Amino acid sequence: MSNVARAVKPSKAGQVNMWVRAARRWAARFPLHAIIITISLLWMTPTVGLLVSSFRPRDAVRSTGWWTVFVNPFDFTQYTLENYVAVLTAQGMGRAFLNSLIIAVPSTLLPLALAALAAYAFAWMEFPGRQTLFAIVVGLLVVPLQMTLIPILRLYNQLGLSGTFLGIWLAHTGYGLPFAVYLLRNFFGALPRELFESAFLDGASWFTAFTRLALPLSVPALASLAIFQFLWVWNDLLVALIYLGGTERVAPLTVRLSTLVNSLGQNWELLTAAAFVSMALPLALFFSLQRYFVRGILAGSVKG
Amino acid sequence: MFRKLLVPAVLVGLLWLVAACAQQPATQVVERVVTQVVEQTVPVEVTRVVEQPVEVTKVVEVPVSRGVVTVLGVWGGDELANFQEAVFPFTEETGIGMAFEGTRDLAAVLTTRVEAGNPPDLAILPNPGQLYELASQGELVPLDEFIDIEAMREQYGDSWIELGSYDGRLYGVFYKVAIKSLVWYNPKAFEANGYQVPTTWDELIALSDQIVADGGTPWCIGLESGSASGWPGTDWIEDIMLRTAGPQVYDQWVRHEIPWTDDAVRNAWELFGQIARNEEYVWGGTTGVLSTNFGDSPAPMFDDPPGCYLHRQASFITGFFPEGLTAGEEYDFFTFPPIDEMYGTPALIAGDVIVMFNDTPEARQLVEYLASSTPQEIWAANGGFISANKDVSLDVYPDELTRKMAQAIVEAEVARFDGSDLMPAAVGAGAFWRSVLDYVGGADLDTVLEEIEAAAADAYQ
Repeated sequence: MSNVARAVKPSKAGQVNMWVRAARRWAARFPLHAIIITISLLWMTPTVGLLVSSFRPRDAVRSTGWWTVFVNPFDFTQYTLENYVAVLTAQGMGRAFLNSLIIAVPSTLLPLALAALAAYAFAWMEFPGRQTLFAIVVGLLVVPLQMTLIPILRLYNQLGLSGTFLGIWLAHTGYGLPFAVYLLRNFFGALPRELFESAFLDGASWFTAFTRLALPLSVPALASLAIFQFLWVWNDLLVALIYLGGTERVAPLTVRLSTLVNSLGQNWELLTAAAFVSMALPLALFFSLQRYFVRGILAGSVKG
Repeated sequence: MFRKLLVPAVLVGLLWLVAACAQQPATQVVERVVTQVVEQTVPVEVTRVVEQPVEVTKVVEVPVSRGVVTVLGVWGGDELANFQEAVFPFTEETGIGMAFEGTRDLAAVLTTRVEAGNPPDLAILPNPGQLYELASQGELVPLDEFIDIEAMREQYGDSWIELGSYDGRLYGVFYKVAIKSLVWYNPKAFEANGYQVPTTWDELIALSDQIVADGGTPWCIGLESGSASGWPGTDWIEDIMLRTAGPQVYDQWVRHEIPWTDDAVRNAWELFGQIARNEEYVWGGTTGVLSTNFGDSPAPMFDDPPGCYLHRQASFITGFFPEGLTAGEEYDFFTFPPIDEMYGTPALIAGDVIVMFNDTPEARQLVEYLASSTPQEIWAANGGFISANKDVSLDVYPDELTRKMAQAIVEAEVARFDGSDLMPAAVGAGAFWRSVLDYVGGADLDTVLEEIEAAAADAYQ
């Protein structure tokens, strides 16, 4: 009996103590939390507005602001699904979705594979001009892709690549590589040297060390890079419009959605729903890879 | 512990999420990027076109065997659906398909494609300004090589043929046209207040004063239109120019043979300012004029009581009216009234023009088909379309109102194309637009005109 009482007593006091400490910590952190919450609310406002607008009928969108729904948020007659119905049933939408996937998946995997190989070489293999070459690759980060449109399209015409999926895969690979190489090299470079030395002592080749050591250790960096690249390609309108063109056979979702609107901007309210339709897949991808993504943000910065 | 860390972590995650999503709805951002392309590609044009003319013709030969004509245009939504419907009988008859590429940034995409030697077979330009530019560079195929020009003259009338010509050769056929000299009103509201449709400028001003005296607001004007903000104001000024200075001076002004500081131009701006800068005349005051989107601006006309009674805008504005209104009953138009009797009521017009880049037999056939009345009647019957072709029967238009507009275009004694579309882009799609906003915003007229004149001095060389 007394044993039990003795065991409970200090733990109760300890619990109260813990609460007090927790409350103090909460109070100390409150300003920080308030700032974070305010900033994120501010940041989310346009997207929330877009979401609300996408459920409002055309005339309401044009005459009043989206925030007016909050006067009676539960009056469901002010909402409508007609924008989504119009977007989803528009002709050729399935084909466009498929085209987007056909474009985005290779355009993500290709630069990833090439960048991993290149970054590994830049990080661990000794060869003359390594630093210079790496500096050039990093320097390419600042070249605006718009500058390359005409020369590359001209080259594609001669090679018969314009209007083909192969052409746009190569284009996206080229545009994505500098950043991918840069990010992965820093990540690979931060891996412990001893790891590689012991692998070589055990008789591993450069390639074995790459596939068995460097790659498995870099999954977070690879995953976050994959998300970056996939989002960029998925959201791209300009590159697709120039190299692929807007014909129904090859046009991705972004191009198809932009043609929902008439030439002078009639039907723009459809774009609110269209935005969320095209967001659906990247969102799913983001949530499924989010574990890696949050870890990968630190990729290359601090590696303990 | 863990929970407390979780909250900020989730918030940070949301931030990233929103940052990722934010790229999605930002079509405007993409448009801006594309606009930059034009600016970057223009200087390149001059040197490179000369270098590789041979390769351009090589590329041309590829589409011959495809049996598909590629068409680049600005149309989307129901415009695109209607156009495809209009081309369908052609495909059925000839077996030649059409692959339409739509983009609202036509100028940028087209410039890039032409520059790279990969132009579409046909393009449908929203105005003839780029037609002249491309024709002068030798990029376009003259249509009179295979189209009977005399038959075209009979169908379209001289003014449309002239607008589609450069240096004596026909390069463009006008497919879908619009009339801009219209003032829209709500007949029910007019009737309820006993207002009469004005037939002169003085009556128009008198009516405006009357409406103000009755406690109403006469005009709805909206100048906002994204990166093209200001253009509705240029239409006002052009319409007034035509009515105060006449078509000859108008042409001189468009060609920059008279300066922007000329009294004729000044006068047109002042008359525009008399309405647009009058806080009592315009719905929402000048702030409302500057910040209202042109497409949303006529909506208050249909409120009860009406927010405004008059709206000067082109024929295509009906596509922006609230749903469920009846043409002729709830909305109607009268022609922008004459100001100086000497010049009567000229029509300010605009239109989409078909041009040809690749001379293939298929493309020739499609141009001939599109210039004929059949495809124009198909679209006209579906609404939202006016044809410049006199062979298109007025009976095909779905309502009396469209018929009236079509008649006004075909029968106009004096018609002039939207001047800002004909001026060099730096003026017509730049300084002119911006200056309208400055002027309505309260800037001094002399300063405003001197600024456009400075831009024009550069642009016209």
